[in-house]
Amino acid sequence: MRVLLPVLLASLLFPAALRTEHSPLLAAGAIRGRIDVRAVPRAPQARPDPGGLGMGGNRDPVDRRRSVVYLETVPRAAFEASPARRVQMHQRNERFEPHVLAVMTGSWVDFPNDDATYHNVFSLSKGQEFNLGRYAAGKTQAVRFERPGIVRVFCEIHSHMSAFILVFAHRYFAVTDDEGRYRIDGVPPGAYTLAVWNETVHGDPPRRTVTIGEAGGEVDGDFTIR
Amino acid sequence: MCTWRRLPALLLLVCVPAARAQAQALPEGPVSMARGTVTVGGEAAVTFGSRDETAFFNYTDYEHNALRMLRLSLSAMWQPMSRLAVLTELRSEDAQRVIPYALYVRVRPWTGRAIDLQAGRIPPVFGAFARRSYGADTPLIGYPLLYQYLTSLRPDAIPATADNLLAMRARGWRVSYPVGAPTEAPGVPLVSAYRWDTGVQARAAAGPVEMSLAITSGTLANPRVDDDNRGRQVSARAAWKPLVGLVIGASAARGEFLTAALADGVGGSGSYPQRALGVDAEYSRGYWIVRGELIESRWTLPAISAPLIDAPLAARAGFVETRYRITPRFFAAARADRLGFSTIRGARLFAGQPTPWDAPVTRIEAGGGVYLQRNLTARAVVQRNWRDAGRVRTRTYVSAQLAYWF
Repeated sequence: MRVLLPVLLASLLFPAALRTEHSPLLAAGAIRGRIDVRAVPRAPQARPDPGGLGMGGNRDPVDRRRSVVYLETVPRAAFEASPARRVQMHQRNERFEPHVLAVMTGSWVDFPNDDATYHNVFSLSKGQEFNLGRYAAGKTQAVRFERPGIVRVFCEIHSHMSAFILVFAHRYFAVTDDEGRYRIDGVPPGAYTLAVWNETVHGDPPRRTVTIGEAGGEVDGDFTIR
Repeated sequence: MCTWRRLPALLLLVCVPAARAQAQALPEGPVSMARGTVTVGGEAAVTFGSRDETAFFNYTDYEHNALRMLRLSLSAMWQPMSRLAVLTELRSEDAQRVIPYALYVRVRPWTGRAIDLQAGRIPPVFGAFARRSYGADTPLIGYPLLYQYLTSLRPDAIPATADNLLAMRARGWRVSYPVGAPTEAPGVPLVSAYRWDTGVQARAAAGPVEMSLAITSGTLANPRVDDDNRGRQVSARAAWKPLVGLVIGASAARGEFLTAALADGVGGSGSYPQRALGVDAEYSRGYWIVRGELIESRWTLPAISAPLIDAPLAARAGFVETRYRITPRFFAAARADRLGFSTIRGARLFAGQPTPWDAPVTRIEAGGGVYLQRNLTARAVVQRNWRDAGRVRTRTYVSAQLAYWF
C-alpha cells in the first residue's frame, strides 16, 4: 500500500499523466481463462456443540475454489455508465448461495431465506455494515452496496454460514464457474493488470498483465493458485 | 476519442478490504483437522469487576465470582461417521483446574429419523439456559439467579431443625449444618449451569415438537460424575415450535438429592429427592430476542428434630431477558430475575412466624455491548441485587467483559 500511495497521489494531482487516449472506433476484446485452485482448505465447519441434544443437519460443503477475476486498472469510461443490477444471495440449507458474489457499486442484493428456520444476515465489514435482523422462510431483505470493497457476510444464528460479496466500481470483473472458468467481455484495447481474488489467498492477489490489441479479440488469462 | 485513465485507487478499494479481511488476528471459526472429522472450538471471556467478599450474590458452586472471572473453554467434536460423534468441553475458571464439563458420545441409530442418543457427561435437558454457549449466546455477563445463586441447601449436610435452616438464610456461599458433613461448604443453586450431569439421554424430534429424556447420576442442583446418592435422576423436556422464532418448552425432573451416606445416617429408607418443574420460552424477530424461564423446585429433607421441617422446601424462580441489536455492532440487553422460597416455622428464630427458608433475592441486570469483530465482543453491565436478609441486603455491581469465541 505504501508503494501505491505516491501513485495514487500522482493520479489525483496530475490525472493527465495517467491518461491514455483511444479511439472509440477500436474494437473491444475479451479476457478469458481458468483459475486453477490447487490446494483448497476445507470449508469452515460448524462449531462443536456440546450443548446440543442431537446431530446437526447435513450440509453440502462450501466451494472455496470460486474466484473473482478483475482488472485492477480500467478505462475511465468504465465509471461513466454503471448499470447497477439486482442479484440474490440465498440462505439455503444453512449456507449462503452463492458463496461468492461480485457486484457493481449501486447494486442491490436480495437475501431470501429459503430455510424453515430463522436467519440473520449481517456484516461488520468496514464501509458496509448492515444487520437485516431475523426473518423467516419465504421472506427477503435487501442491501444496496454503495462502496467498493470486500464485504464479509455472516448469519448471527448459524456461525458456520459465511459469504463474500466483492463490490467493484466498474464492470470489468467475473466470477469463475464450477470449472474455474471466467470471461470478461467488452474490454477496450490496452494493457491491463488482471488480478484474482480467492478467499484462500492471503497477501497480495495473483496478478498478470494482459493486452487487448486494437483489433480486439480474445486474450487468455489463466492462473494457478497453490 | 475516448480517454483512458489509470486508476490505482481501485487497487486500494479492493486490496485494502481484502487485507483487512485477512488481517483478522484471531481465528474466526473452529479449527478443523483429521480430514474434517475433528473440529475444535473455544471461548475465552475475561470479566472485570469489583471483589465481593461480603455479599456473594454472584458466587458459583465452584466459589468463583461470575462477575469477576477468567473463563476459558475448549470444545471438540470427533465425528468419524455421520451417525456417531464424540464431544467434549474442557473449561477452566480463574486459571485454576481444568474441568471436563462435557464428555459424551452421540449416536443417531437411524439415519432417516431424528432420534439421537447421548451417553457420558451430557448437557442437561431441563430448561434452556444451561445449554447455551456462554460467549456467543448470552447477551449479559451475569447468570440468572436460578442457575447460579447458591441457596442454603447442601446434599451432604442438613439442618436438624427448622431453626438450623433459618439460621443459614442468605448464607448460601458458606453453609454448615449439624447433620452430615461437619465442614462449611457452599450450598446449591436450583439448577447448576456450571456443572453437567452424567448419564444417558435420548432426543426425538418430529416436525415442530422435540422431546428429550435423560437419566443421570446427580440432580439439577448437584450434577455428579460419580453417583453418591440413592438413585438416578430422571429429567425430561418437551419443546414446541409453533412458528419460526418461537420456542416453548416444559421440563420436569426428579432425582435423589441427599448423599447416600447422609440418607443412611438419618435412618430409614426414605426418599429425599429434588423435584422440579419448569417452563421456558424464547421469541425472536427482527432485532429482538426475548427469553424467559420459570422453575419451581422442591427438596424433601428428613424431619429430624422439632421444630420439624415436615414439608418439602420449595423455591420458585424466574427471569425474563431481552436483547436488542441497535446497530450492526451495538446491542443492549437486560434481565429481571426473582428467586423466592416457601415458608417454614422455627421456634427460636423469627418468633415462630412463617418465614422463607432462604432469603428471597431480586436482581436486575442491564447493559450493552459492541461487536469488535464477529466473534469478539466487549460488554458492560450494571447489576443491582436485593435480598431480604443477610449482612448485605442490596448491592450494585458494575462489570465489563471481553469475550471471544471461535
